[in-house]
Amino acid sequence: MIIVLIAKQIEIRNNIKAYFDTAYDGEIIIVPRKHGRNIVILSENEYMKLNKQHLQTYYSKLHEATTGLDKTVVDADARAENLKKLEEIGNLKDNWNGNGAPGLPPALIKKTRALIKALKIQPEIFPTALETIQLEFDNSNNDHMEIEIGMSDKAEVFVAPYDDSEYFETIRSTAASINERVEDFYG
Amino acid sequence: MDDYFALDELLYRAVYPPEIASMFWRKNGKVSSAAFADPKGLSVDRGYFRDEKDVIDSMTRRFTGSIITIFAGDCASIQAIIRYLPSKSNPYHSEIHGSEHEPLLSKPQRFYLSERAWQVFPSVDQ
Repeated sequence: MIIVLIAKQIEIRNNIKAYFDTAYDGEIIIVPRKHGRNIVILSENEYMKLNKQHLQTYYSKLHEATTGLDKTVVDADARAENLKKLEEIGNLKDNWNGNGAPGLPPALIKKTRALIKALKIQPEIFPTALETIQLEFDNSNNDHMEIEIGMSDKAEVFVAPYDDSEYFETIRSTAASINERVEDFYG
Repeated sequence: MDDYFALDELLYRAVYPPEIASMFWRKNGKVSSAAFADPKGLSVDRGYFRDEKDVIDSMTRRFTGSIITIFAGDCASIQAIIRYLPSKSNPYHSEIHGSEHEPLLSKPQRFYLSERAWQVFPSVDQ
């Protein structure tokens, strides 16, 4: 049980060694001061206990922020990088691939920009000569997934598992559907 | 030159756009399969067992950009068709098609080739 003592400044000043010894023995001393500018005296041992609890709370919050749905915290840099690259993709002129590929439609760039902003796990993004943008994901099992975004309300998904057969899916081309598919891919 | 491609013949592909060299490179150092999507067929220069430096010199005279290479045998592995289509300006010009009737490579074909390709210009050591 922690014992809390309240002592005035003058009492502390006059008996400082005794109060320090009391604090060293595990008691906590609160020194009231004007305007609520109170001071707490406690031993190093008690301080470390409190600090440990504080650090545990800190690491617990950090863990929550870097796992599951809060991956957005980690992927903030990747999102900024993707938005920058999307601008470069939007600036591609006709014949950008040397074989007559048209520049990508501004409406597709706008649609992809909205998706990038909403995706919780950021992909790598690439233009194609098919007037689409390919989102690529690789998980820790070395599985690979591509989601091809065009102007249609459907998106084509191609999955190449590391040790299994490749397969295709079609999903809705919305942030909610893509987020759901990507979260499933990452398990 | 004839239209026969030995399995160990190298095919060289220019990766555009030249002004943004990193556009098609993934973080794992491989080229994206998106660089292999072309509805007109994938243009390549056949190596025809020339010295690689000569191939690169010849290609870089015609464009500025990166060059990747794959084996003709990689195309055979995925039933892609290599067509020898020389032009006046480029006697080595060829195209890789998805099938006899479809110039566009399928997604699995594109992904396979992207995994097999390696960059020869600029040298990755530069």
